[in-house]
Amino acid sequence: MNLLQACTIIENARKDAILVATMGAMFAFDGIKAAQPRISSVPLMGGAASLGLGLAIAEPSRTIIVVDGDASLLMQLGGLTTVADRQPVNFVHFVVRNGAQFSGVANLATPADACVDYAGLAAAAGYRRTYRFENETALAAHIEEVLGCVGPTFVELRVVTPPPIPGAPMKMEIPDLQFQRMGMEARTLSAWLKDHAHG
Amino acid sequence: MGERNFNIPASGYLDALRRNGVDHFVTVPDWVQLGLHDRVEKGVEGLSLVRCCNEDQAVCVSAGLRIAGKKPVTVVQNQGLYACINTIRAVGLDASLPIVFLVGQFGREFSNFGQEPSLSSRNTVKLLEPVLNALGVKFWRLEDENDLGRIDEAFAYADKESRPAVLIVGAPTGWN
Repeated sequence: MNLLQACTIIENARKDAILVATMGAMFAFDGIKAAQPRISSVPLMGGAASLGLGLAIAEPSRTIIVVDGDASLLMQLGGLTTVADRQPVNFVHFVVRNGAQFSGVANLATPADACVDYAGLAAAAGYRRTYRFENETALAAHIEEVLGCVGPTFVELRVVTPPPIPGAPMKMEIPDLQFQRMGMEARTLSAWLKDHAHG
Repeated sequence: MGERNFNIPASGYLDALRRNGVDHFVTVPDWVQLGLHDRVEKGVEGLSLVRCCNEDQAVCVSAGLRIAGKKPVTVVQNQGLYACINTIRAVGLDASLPIVFLVGQFGREFSNFGQEPSLSSRNTVKLLEPVLNALGVKFWRLEDENDLGRIDEAFAYADKESRPAVLIVGAPTGWN
């Protein structure tokens, strides 16, 4: 499956769950116009799961969906045990496994992609449920079950990487929005949570 | 005149956290604040303990809590603050989230208590304030019990300005 297919399946099943995304998944969700409630960990590789954990603790009656990257997760592997320590039942942690950093641009290899077992790491860390999906048919068939089960839940998604386009991004400056959006989304999400407070 | 006591009681910190509405104690444990950790580990009503593996995670967990209307304090030591500078940049500065830290001055010489930290011979101690200044993060020193009101100042500043604020714990907290 490709990233857009994976994110579309998640988004179509999300309902009012809070989405925390980072890196390529964030842009894929932008592409399918994923709306509030959501927040992006950007530019901050590795922050999504802990950001989501804080939300999960504060909002125990809402589902929190984290869509992480494989290289991002590797930066904060200990974060799996930080999540597991709290055992948030409302926490679903997807990891997009494409084996590449700067996917679709340079496709630099992610460490240990040939041998690492992300779902195994999550299970060993103490996540209650783990899944691994290699294609969109399997993900679509199980997405309701994944989002409905008692967490913390971890889902490894094997995603194909588009071919690299070396040199292409160097002609485009990183926009200010990249550095502003986490704050903007944080304020919007705070307001959304106030407006949608559970009685 | 009695000798100055630099060991602020853990109970003084807890009183200050309570009156500032703190509801989550998000931490990577700090040697300097062991007295406070001990109290929180044993259970403090209204204060939920969140244990993190590193300080990046502690800052992000605190951010998620703040976004959802909670009031965490992020408890780390100087080495941990150095370790999470990029996360403070992203979450505290770029995203303007009011993360309030208690940062222990691990490694500070006893002879430096009550003195300028810049006079310490140890980098882990003397670099803390210059690093915070370089980041543009406001800080307050907690050197003895008379400084506990600075905790209120830090929370008020963080809330009003929507900026991170650091309270520097200068000496081991008392276990009382």
